[in-house]
Amino acid sequence: MSSPPELSRRGTVCRGRQLILFLLSAAVLWSLAPAAAVDRLALRLGDLASPMLALQRLSLEYESGAAVLRVDRLRLGQRQWRDLALRCSHATLTFDAVHCGAARLSVAGRVLPLVAELELAGDGRGELGLTFADGGRLGLTFEGGALRARADRLALDKLHAVLAGLDADIDTLFERFRPVATLDGELRWGADGNSPARVSIDVRLFDAGFGSADGLQAGESLELAISGTARALDDGWAWQGEVEWRHGAAYLHPLYLEAGPSVRAQGRLQGGVVVVERSEVALEGVGRLDASARVELDTAAVLELELELTNADLGVLGPRWIAPLIAPASADRMYFGGQLDGLLRLQDGVLAQIDARLEGAGFGFVGAAGGGGFALGPVGGTLAWHAGASTSSRLRIGGGQWERIALGSFELEASLDGRSLSLAPARLPVLDGALVIEHLTLAHTDAGWQGVGGVVIEPVSMPLLTEALEMPRMGGVLAASLPDVRVSPGEITLNGALVVSVFDGYLQATGLRLVEPFGVASHLSADIEGRRLDLSQLTDTFSFGSVTGFVDLSLAGLELLRWRPVAFDARISSSPGRYPRRISQRAVQNISALGGGGAMAAVQRSLLGIFDTFGYRELGLTCRLRAGVCMMDGVEGGARADGGFVIVRGGGVPALDVIGYNRRVNWNELVERLQRVMADNVSPELR
Amino acid sequence: MNLSMVLTRWCVLLCLALGGMSAVHAQGNLEIDTPAVSALRQSMQQRHAQLAPLYAAGAIGLAADGSVALRDASAIPLAQRAQANSLLAAENADRAALYREIARANGRPEWEADVRRTFAQRWIDRAQPGWYVQQGGNWVRK
Amino acid sequence: MASNSVSSTVPMPSQAAPWLRRLAVTVLAVVASACVTINIYFPAAAAEKAADRIIDEVWQLREGAAAETPAAQGDSK
Repeated sequence: MSSPPELSRRGTVCRGRQLILFLLSAAVLWSLAPAAAVDRLALRLGDLASPMLALQRLSLEYESGAAVLRVDRLRLGQRQWRDLALRCSHATLTFDAVHCGAARLSVAGRVLPLVAELELAGDGRGELGLTFADGGRLGLTFEGGALRARADRLALDKLHAVLAGLDADIDTLFERFRPVATLDGELRWGADGNSPARVSIDVRLFDAGFGSADGLQAGESLELAISGTARALDDGWAWQGEVEWRHGAAYLHPLYLEAGPSVRAQGRLQGGVVVVERSEVALEGVGRLDASARVELDTAAVLELELELTNADLGVLGPRWIAPLIAPASADRMYFGGQLDGLLRLQDGVLAQIDARLEGAGFGFVGAAGGGGFALGPVGGTLAWHAGASTSSRLRIGGGQWERIALGSFELEASLDGRSLSLAPARLPVLDGALVIEHLTLAHTDAGWQGVGGVVIEPVSMPLLTEALEMPRMGGVLAASLPDVRVSPGEITLNGALVVSVFDGYLQATGLRLVEPFGVASHLSADIEGRRLDLSQLTDTFSFGSVTGFVDLSLAGLELLRWRPVAFDARISSSPGRYPRRISQRAVQNISALGGGGAMAAVQRSLLGIFDTFGYRELGLTCRLRAGVCMMDGVEGGARADGGFVIVRGGGVPALDVIGYNRRVNWNELVERLQRVMADNVSPELR
Repeated sequence: MNLSMVLTRWCVLLCLALGGMSAVHAQGNLEIDTPAVSALRQSMQQRHAQLAPLYAAGAIGLAADGSVALRDASAIPLAQRAQANSLLAAENADRAALYREIARANGRPEWEADVRRTFAQRWIDRAQPGWYVQQGGNWVRK
Repeated sequence: MASNSVSSTVPMPSQAAPWLRRLAVTVLAVVASACVTINIYFPAAAAEKAADRIIDEVWQLREGAAAETPAAQGDSK
């Protein structure tokens, strides 16, 4: 197969014969001479040339049973060697045969580590056997104008050691990939009569491996079966063949592949370019894979490649082929399912086109810190990307899940152009509301994704949302208008407002910012303002006892890491205005318990047992959360000389103050206590 | 009133205005005790148990840009190379987030490149003997 | 108040004596450069300290550092 494409079939046959005849006639000449008179002979046999093989200045010297056959220059295909000598220690020349045994072959003065044997018979048969030190054998037979090469446990690296320094291209290849392999099999070259030259090959490569110096391309314990035939054309070759990968594994950065695939292909070899006209690849998880390609032989550059997938199983292709390429960092957190048909085209080694059709596909992404993650499916529709052109893609998504929230079915229509994506308005149903993407354009830069968009949340009812989030049931609705969404690497800012009407008042979140959205440090920050939240509903919802009245809330610089607050400046205070203000005995106990073992005056404590509810003038609590510690304070101006702070200032009859003394409270302990209060309905311990 | 007095007054005002801002950075520590930074530190520390043998084997090394790079994958068993690559990508995602987050935590997102440069140098300086680090475009064994 | 006094003296430069102008320019340069330097200053030393703290934690160098060093030196050249 190393023959150049420009080889012509004409003349190959007769010139092959010429060589044999020429050698034989020389032998005949010699044998006709009186044996006793000649124990020394020197013959100059001149030049020999065929398109495949050329020998320049061939000469033979014979002296007492030993012979030296010299060739000044040998050309085999495009490769050339100079100064070859075959030194036979046992040479016999008879009328119908030349035999040269236990011979040493040297090239340019270097003796090759192998034993050669040459035999030329009068019937036009010639045989050259090369036996290597490890027992590997390469036999070359010329017969009737045909060349047959047979390898028998021939070690590729031994063969290369022999041929090292003879061909720079091959040396470079060996240096880069350090291939080892043992070769069994046969290659035939020949033709009958005037029909075109034919090459057929049937070999098995085993115990094979290769590895680039950086380890990014490597294969181990490979076994390949290669068979095929080629027929000479006027300007090249037409070939067909089959390669079966029987054993071993390979790493072609970043893909890890295992034995199993096989390829049946046919094509041409013209002008130094291998053309794969048609091929069928059998690959696990793929119903059918057709490929065509054009590859430059010298540089192994892929000029063109087209792959057509039919009926591929994403469950198999996803983790093996897609995730390592598109998201290696989270490859083990992604999962796939469903069917894919597609077309992929490379032009001059660069991706030129992707067309994919999905059916019943599913995609999922497990959250970096565990949790519900994100999933979409079933997904159907088409995806298209063409280099240098704008394409449109349309997907129907049957449903989805984000953390604990289910998404309804929706359609996405996007246009892709180069590295940018623009999404047509889309409406993603969320519970009884929807997330509406009014516009979104994203561009992929070297640093990551960048873009702008606008999002609206159509009212989602709070009872459904709180139920989905497994929170205590709350009334009201959630809606948002975020007209200025900005995406930059590591950050998504959502300018606008998210409003929750809840407890007869409302909460408004502004300055929403999602930082490092896909990493372990994914966190959300926002500023939240609450106005006139009905305390009786709130305390009822969280089983906190009973408080009547209204509060305003300010939660500035709220930061949620994995949905847990890690920083904020919170202030809850009684809303201004006239309204009944009563607080139940249980609520008093709970509040004082939350105050971090905050105590009340003994006199007041005794009152607790007598009355069920108490009047209050105002209540207020602030908590500045930093580094897991909540710095507490009470109502404004409620600091006391004894270091305490007033949380509830009594008023009316009977009145009592709730006073906190612990200003530093561990946040996790506080949450734990709060959860206990809410869940168990157990009276917290009073100290 | 003469010109120099006016100018001086301007400059003092200017310096006061700017000084208020920069004084914090001029002497203080860099804020790294945010929850996001600790989440990243923890994630990287956990991953380090898997990365350490790869450093020791010379399979990966500390790159000049503050990331970890695949240096010689042949030191990793074939079947584990894809996994190692994935591990590396995850580490580099964390590192990028760490540099951004530190700059952000100090109210100076534009410091990201400086933070990255500083870390790159410190990772390299403090690499353990036997590990590979990138210096002047080449891999050097410490 | 400051802006008042400034606006009334803005035309001064053209009338000022050359030495005065030179002095003014020098003062401006010195003060301005001082301001600017402070403003773009990246706390390299603090950043190094911060980096070291994080590296200590990630590589767990604080404890067992003494035990590790001789072993590591053994197989490196």
